Amino acid sequence: MTYVFDPTNWEWLVTGNNLRFLLEGFLVNLEIAAIAIVLSLIAGLLLALGRLARLGPLAFAVGVWVDVWRNLPLIFIILYLALALPDSWSERYESIVPGFFPEALQSGRVLGALLALVLYNSAVIAEIMRAGILSMERGQAEAAKALGLTYSQTMRLVILPQGLRRMVPATVSQLITLNKDTTLVSIIAIQEVMRHGRIVTSFNFFGGVEAPVLQVFLFIGLLFVIVNLSLSRLSRRLELRERRLTGTTVQPVSGLELQP
Amino acid sequence: MTGLWEVLREAFPDLAAGFWVTVRIVAISFLIAMAVGTLVASLRVFPNRWVQRLGGIYVETFRNVPLLVLLFISFAGLRRAGLPVNAWVAGTASLGLYTAAYVAEALRSGIFSVSPGQIEASLSLGFTYAQTLRRIVLPQAFRTVISPLGSIVIAMIKNSAIIGVSLLALPDLLKEARIEQSRTFQTSETFFWAAVGYLLLTGTATIAVRVLERRYTIRR
Repeated sequence: MTYVFDPTNWEWLVTGNNLRFLLEGFLVNLEIAAIAIVLSLIAGLLLALGRLARLGPLAFAVGVWVDVWRNLPLIFIILYLALALPDSWSERYESIVPGFFPEALQSGRVLGALLALVLYNSAVIAEIMRAGILSMERGQAEAAKALGLTYSQTMRLVILPQGLRRMVPATVSQLITLNKDTTLVSIIAIQEVMRHGRIVTSFNFFGGVEAPVLQVFLFIGLLFVIVNLSLSRLSRRLELRERRLTGTTVQPVSGLELQP
Repeated sequence: MTGLWEVLREAFPDLAAGFWVTVRIVAISFLIAMAVGTLVASLRVFPNRWVQRLGGIYVETFRNVPLLVLLFISFAGLRRAGLPVNAWVAGTASLGLYTAAYVAEALRSGIFSVSPGQIEASLSLGFTYAQTLRRIVLPQAFRTVISPLGSIVIAMIKNSAIIGVSLLALPDLLKEARIEQSRTFQTSETFFWAAVGYLLLTGTATIAVRVLERRYTIRR
């Protein structure tokens, strides 16, 4: 305990550019998570609709796709794509990536990482969305049909707006998981916070003060706790506001909020 | 397709060894997660605000920190601090303690589903708080949350793969596949068989959970 809180072991934090370097790395994690969650939500919705489609073979194929990707370890997918994606794809990515993207995201390796994150998370989100849609009472769809709405109108105007609202809490906790999972891309040498942490600890990098591994990674852990706690607080507040405004209790999709 | 079988014949002993390492990591971490998770859940419903808060801090910390950070802290961090931790201890403890936070949350919601009348009855019969929890509340709590616990265990199986490719380098299934791939460069074939290994584990767990659910779940 004395070792952990010994001020000399924390000197690195206020020396040179160490703190800024770590925060810059952390920002890359958040950016990767933001891009991946947006793409995963879009792909997840399409997959959920595909799995619920009344077209047997399509629903079956999408079902297999979703079940395979969400049951594989994410790190497995990241590593596989890093090894298996053709170089031409990475070069293509490097040539089309917008210039305003941060430097760490310009590297061709980021393509594989993003693809892996989206493959995995879109499959998980598709299941959350499917549960959200299936949790609607049957009477809603029947009533819409009786009023003469087509299948796509029923989905778009009746089922989705309500079903998607129910899965806000589940989606936020998936975003928290995704935030944590962005650290895994350090394994394929993308320069984010874990890499920056190792650089800080290995060379007495900035200012020549030794940065002990334990303290550096405790600090990185703290960054994640702060951001993720704020996210879950925000989601709880949104839920309460929703409940107050609509006067209804939005039933969150159960069983899916707790995903490590 | 012939390549696929050839790679399997060639790599089977190593991949099988890695498979069993993964199974052992998962088994040990499971025991840690269940034991610590039950303890933390009991703290969170303890009739004292400060004790409850302690459990809350545990859950919020371990649920919001990446597993990879925990592995760095428990392995490289403690070693540099002069504590020679072994990779197995660091790996299974990190995975177990990380998962325990989720187990505690699931159990807590199970505990709240037990009607307060039962607890009052048990206390008035002279059971202590600990006895009430152990004999009456927890057995029912476990049975109501089998399905969320199941998805937590499946997530734990998947998370175990992080241990092998991190700096701990335990020779688990993914690590063995990685070694095999760097030797033969048969990337897709090798990873295909590793994927079969992982899907075997997660698939078995899914079926086991479904069976337990059908037999023991109390629906409320």
